[in-house]
Amino acid sequence: MQKLWTTFVKDARLSYQGIYFYMEVGMAIIFVLVMLFAVPENFDRTQTFYALVEIEALKGELSELIADGGDHQVKFFDSRPALEQALAANRSAAGIHVHLQGQRPVLELVLQGHESESMKALLRSTLEGAMASQLPGYVDRTTVVTLETAPARLSDRVNLLPIYLVINVAFMGLFIIAAYVFLDKEEGVIKAFAVAPVQVWHYLVSKIIIMALMAVVVSTIVVISLVGFRINYPLLILAILAFNVFGSVLGLLITSFFDSMTKAMGALFFSVFVLMFGGFSYFMPWFSPAWIRLLPSYPMIFSFRELLLEQGDVAYVLQNIGLFIALSILLFIYTNYRFKKTLTV
Amino acid sequence: MIKVQGLYHSYTHDHVYAVKNANFEIAPGEIFGFLGPSGAGKSTTQGVMTGLLPLQQGVVQVAGYDMRLRQRELFNKIGVSFEQSNVYSKLTALENLEFYGKLFDVPTLDPMQLLHLVGLDGVAKNKAGTFSKGMKHRLTFIRSMLNNPAIWFLDEPTTGLDPAISRKIIEIVKDKNAEGATVFLTTHNMQVADELCHRVAFIIDGEIKLIDSPRNLKLQFGEKIVVVDHRVDDTTKREQFSLVKPDDMARLQTLLQTGKIEMMHTKEATLEEIFIQVTGRGLL
Ligand SMILES: Nc1ncnc2c1ncn2[C@@H]1O[C@H](COP(=O)(O)OP(=O)(O)O)[C@@H](O)[C@H]1O
Ligand SMILES: [Mg+2]
Repeated sequence: MQKLWTTFVKDARLSYQGIYFYMEVGMAIIFVLVMLFAVPENFDRTQTFYALVEIEALKGELSELIADGGDHQVKFFDSRPALEQALAANRSAAGIHVHLQGQRPVLELVLQGHESESMKALLRSTLEGAMASQLPGYVDRTTVVTLETAPARLSDRVNLLPIYLVINVAFMGLFIIAAYVFLDKEEGVIKAFAVAPVQVWHYLVSKIIIMALMAVVVSTIVVISLVGFRINYPLLILAILAFNVFGSVLGLLITSFFDSMTKAMGALFFSVFVLMFGGFSYFMPWFSPAWIRLLPSYPMIFSFRELLLEQGDVAYVLQNIGLFIALSILLFIYTNYRFKKTLTV
Repeated sequence: MIKVQGLYHSYTHDHVYAVKNANFEIAPGEIFGFLGPSGAGKSTTQGVMTGLLPLQQGVVQVAGYDMRLRQRELFNKIGVSFEQSNVYSKLTALENLEFYGKLFDVPTLDPMQLLHLVGLDGVAKNKAGTFSKGMKHRLTFIRSMLNNPAIWFLDEPTTGLDPAISRKIIEIVKDKNAEGATVFLTTHNMQVADELCHRVAFIIDGEIKLIDSPRNLKLQFGEKIVVVDHRVDDTTKREQFSLVKPDDMARLQTLLQTGKIEMMHTKEATLEEIFIQVTGRGLL
């Protein structure tokens, strides 16, 4: 244990002087800044409406309804030309024109042309709902609500966080730990280590701990900056540790098959690319075939998602943490064996 | 102390051997040298003896440990200095030694004293990355002394160093040996081998051609030659006479009786000349 500590202190000193620690911190800072200042908390959620309402009784109702739907604003105009002119001036606003056709109120959406289909559907159903409430026999507002809120949903900003976490926690480590090992090989210090009365696992575990510490510190700070203290941090840290150790051990294993970073690069990129496929399912929930669910990034991303939700599925997260700890142990046993054979050859 | 029997090593795991059927034993307290040109297989042999390379075929025992078993405790008893210096360039000289010293289970020497020994005490707090090649080499060298090893492996300990530092290193090796350390060293420098080694092995193309003490080799192979300066008509003439060729002996006797001899001395063959004689090749 004392030798592991000695090795760890040395590795910590080296990595603190190396570039990778600062790269990780730099990436984290950029990510947080972009998230806070360039990415709105929720995409497309705040909408300004310009309205021309020819039925006086509906005006108040409409304002109320629009205000209910979120952080929306409505501004009324007196004529169609005035409405269109205002819309031309503010390309992100949507127009509403309500007029009477015989005895029936008719709703016309005056859109800019860049709105998505779902956006149009949302506007139409919201507004139609509003008017239906004003007409006898049409009281059915529930349909309006269901369209908007998914059962459990992260804000759009926090929604990107699991992707960042998986990249930073699990897959960046693959490259960094490989770089550390190859640096030791290049400097030849690995040979000096090999003729000292220490075990190969001291060498490997020390590097794994360095990576885990970096991941925990950096990732936790990022999560705190973006979501505050409302989530289960002990569980988050446990997940970061389990996933990070898996990534590090995988990186070490790949490293053991090559004798320079350049030669290992292809294999490292390929692994990360394949492993990251799980990310597709995250953004396209309809695309999640079994083989993608088997890639490590899939359970990792979805575990982070559960961790960030108000009422996430703790059992699911714990189950994945257990899974990755078990996988890491198995991989480590093989990696240690590989390193014993190839450390200095 | 060291026993090597039927050692073969192939980097390509085929019949291209970097070391072929090496056999030798090293007694406690002995300085044993591997002398041979670059690429002869010296470092490969040392690599197997220190566990850096796997033992593929043959028997290697170091301090009673079978190298096939790869027991880590062995490394408390041995020290290894490398041909290419290998230190952490981002750590200072002192930090390099302090870190390494903590890896041993046995008492270690004081890093500052070791640095002083090779004249690096003034730069103890400087990063090894700022060192010249020679300074890094010295640091690598003293690092191998930290655990006061009973068996000391030195791969080309003086190669590439300036003469004053080489001399210093040679003196340190002699001192440690006087204190009882067994030394295995490789070199392509015949002066080092001659001065330090109790016995040398000539190695070329992975094969040991012979093993003996420098003195025996000189007695056995060195053609004894007498160099005579004598005066012939106001000029000094230098002639060499072999003491084994009857012709030369006769001419020398005549010269001794009739000539005007100014100076006369015997010359012994150098280890390098013997190496060439035995292997048909030079040391470079
Ligand atoms: N890592 C290696 N991989 C393949 N061949 C090697 C390696 N190291 C040395 N060799 C080859 O093995 C032979 C012996 O090399 P080496 O033991 O380093 O010689 P020496 O130390 O006497 O100069 C040489 O032909 C060299 O090219
Ligand atoms: Mg060599």
